Amino acid sequence: MNRSAFLLPVVVVAALVVISAVFTVDERERALVLQFGEVVTVKEDPGLAFKIPLIQEVVKYDKRILALETQSLEVTPADDRRLVVDAFARWRIQDVVKFRRAVGASGIDGATSRLQRIINAEMRAVLGSVDSGTVLSADRVALMNQIRDKARIQALSLGVEIVDVRIKRADLPEQNLSATFARMRAEREREAADEIARGKEAAQRVRALADRTVVETVSIAQKEADIIRGEADANRNAIFAEAFGKDPEFFAFYRSLNAYEASLQGSNTTLVLSPDSEFFDYLKTDRLGE
Amino acid sequence: MAGNTGGPWGGGGNSGGNNNGNGGGNNGGGNRPDKPQIPEIEDIVKKGQEQLRVLMGGKGGGNRTNGSGNGAGGPGLSGRAIAGIAIVGVLVAWTAASFYRVDTSEQSVELLFGKYVQTGEEGLNFAPWPVVKAEIESVTRENTVDIGVGRGNRSDEGLMLTGDENIVDIDFQVVWNISDLRSYLFNLAEPQATISAVSESAMREIIARSNLAPILNRDRGAIAQELQELIQATMDSYESGVQIVRVNFDKADPPREVIDSFREVQAAEQTRDTLEKQADAYANERVAAARGTAAEVLERAEGYRAQTVNQAEGEASRFLAVYGEYVKAEEVTRKRLYLETMERVLGGVDKVILDEAAGGGQGVVPYLPLNELNKSNKGSN
Repeated sequence: MNRSAFLLPVVVVAALVVISAVFTVDERERALVLQFGEVVTVKEDPGLAFKIPLIQEVVKYDKRILALETQSLEVTPADDRRLVVDAFARWRIQDVVKFRRAVGASGIDGATSRLQRIINAEMRAVLGSVDSGTVLSADRVALMNQIRDKARIQALSLGVEIVDVRIKRADLPEQNLSATFARMRAEREREAADEIARGKEAAQRVRALADRTVVETVSIAQKEADIIRGEADANRNAIFAEAFGKDPEFFAFYRSLNAYEASLQGSNTTLVLSPDSEFFDYLKTDRLGE
Repeated sequence: MAGNTGGPWGGGGNSGGNNNGNGGGNNGGGNRPDKPQIPEIEDIVKKGQEQLRVLMGGKGGGNRTNGSGNGAGGPGLSGRAIAGIAIVGVLVAWTAASFYRVDTSEQSVELLFGKYVQTGEEGLNFAPWPVVKAEIESVTRENTVDIGVGRGNRSDEGLMLTGDENIVDIDFQVVWNISDLRSYLFNLAEPQATISAVSESAMREIIARSNLAPILNRDRGAIAQELQELIQATMDSYESGVQIVRVNFDKADPPREVIDSFREVQAAEQTRDTLEKQADAYANERVAAARGTAAEVLERAEGYRAQTVNQAEGEASRFLAVYGEYVKAEEVTRKRLYLETMERVLGGVDKVILDEAAGGGQGVVPYLPLNELNKSNKGSN
C-alpha cells in the first residue's frame, strides 16, 4: 500500500505531462505550434504531434475550402446604371504561417472580413470598367474569372488561395424593379394588342377572300350558263333553219298562221275587217270569179 | 461519430463507478477522443490486472474471462465482483465502440489520430477505439437544396434577370448525394451552403444568357440539363465529392406583379384564334353557298338548253310533218290550213266587218270611235 500510494501521484503527473505534450491534427486541419506567440513548428500533415507543455500552444486552422458570402454591393458600371451584385467566394488557407502573421489572433473571421474587402474592391474595379449589359448577360463568366484572378493575387499576401469567385446575383436596384415590371407589362399589353389586331387582320383577310371566291364562283357559273344558253339558242336556230329552209314560203305562211292564232286570242281584240278579204271570199257569193 | 463512441464508453464508465471509469466517461462525452485517453487505457488495464490478481487470490478459481460470473457468486467479495463486472463491461463497450458496420448505402473513412488511413469496407469493420476513428455517411441519401421556393422574407431570391432584361420567377430544387466521402469530408467546409450558392449563381448565369420567352415556353428541360452540368462542374472544381443527381425545375413564371399581363396575352391569343375561326366559319359557309349557287345556275342553263333544243326540235318536226302533207297537195292544204286557222282566230275575236265599197269613197274607218269600242269592251268584261 505504501508503494502504490507513492506510485499513484507519479503516474498521474506523468500522464498529465504526456497528455499536454501530445496533440492530434485532424485530416481537415493544419496546426501551428506557437511559443510565446511565435511560430516554431508547422504541422501540415494530420496525425499525432508533440509540443512542450506549458511553454508552447497549438493553433489549428481548417484546411478545407471555406465559404465567403459578400454583402449586396451596389456597383456602377461604365454606362452609369447602378447594379446590385451579390457574390460569393470559396477560399482556403494555403500558407498557415503567412496567414497567422497576416490575420493574427482574429483567425478565420478576421480573414473573412479582409477577403471581403479585397473582393468588393476588385468587383467594383472590374464591373465598373464594363457596360451593365455585359454584367447582366453572357460575359458574366469572363468577368467572374477576372475578379477571381485579381483577388487571388491580392489574397496571396494573406496566405490565402481564392479558389473561386462567382457572381450570385447581378440585378437592377429595387427602385428599378417597378420600372422593369411596368415595362414588362407594357410589352405584354403590346403583344396582346398585336395578337388581337393580327387576329382581326387574318379574319378580315379570310372573309374578303371568301367574298371574292363567292363572286368568282358565281360569275364563272353564270358565264358558263350563258355559254350553254347561247349554244342552246344556236342549236335551236340551226334546227329551225334546217327544217324551215326546205320551203321558206310555206314556212312564212305556216308560221304566220300560228302567230295569228297565238296573238289574236281573247276578247280584248277587235278586228275591223273588210269583206273583201280572202276569208270572206264566199260571204257574198257562192262562186268565185263570176 | 463522437456521440457514437462516447455512448457505450459512458455507459461502461457509469457501471464501473471507479475513478478511471469516471475519467474515461468525461473524455468520451467530449467531441473528439483526444490523446489523453491513451494512458487512461493503460491505466485501466493495469488497474484491472491488479484487481483480477486480488480476485483470483481471494476466490482461487475462475479466469480472466469468466471471472466476473464467479465473482458475482461470492457474497463476501461483492466489491471485487463489481469491479470485475465493470472491467468486462468496459471491454464490451470498447468492442462495441471499435467495430462498426458499413451498409451498402454507406461509405466510411478511418482516421488514425485524425489522419486518414483507409476507406472502410462494406460490412463489419474494425477501428480500435480511440486510436482509430471511423466516420460513416450515407452516400445514397438524397439531399435537397431549394432555390426560390416560398419567396418569404428574402422575396427576390427566385427573381432572376433574363438576357433581355426581363424578370422571371424561378423555383428549382437541386438533389445531390455524396459520391466520394473522403473528398466530401476533407475538401469542402460547408457543402450544403456551397451547393446552394453555386446553384443560384449557375442558374442566374444561365438565365442571363437567355431571353424571357424561351425560358417560359420550351427550354426548361435544356436549362435543367445545362444547370446540372454547370453545378457539377463547379462542385468538381472544388473537389467536393458531391454528385448532383438531378435538378427539378419546378417553376419558371413571370413574377406575380406582371402575371396578369401575361394572362392577358394568353387571352388575346385565344381571342385571335376565335376571330380566325369565326372568319373561317364565315368563309366556309359563304363559299359553300356560292358553290351551290353556281351549281344551280349551271343546272338551270343546262335545263334551258334541253328545253330550247327540245322545243326547237319539236317545233321543227311538227313543221316538217305538216310540210310533208303540204307537199303532197299544196293548194288544198294551204287553203285548208288558212281557213282552219282563221276560223279559230275569228271565232274568238270581236269583229267589225265594213264593206268599203258600200260606204263609198273614204269609208267609215276614219270615224270609228276606237276608244269607245275599247271602253265598251272593257265594260262588258
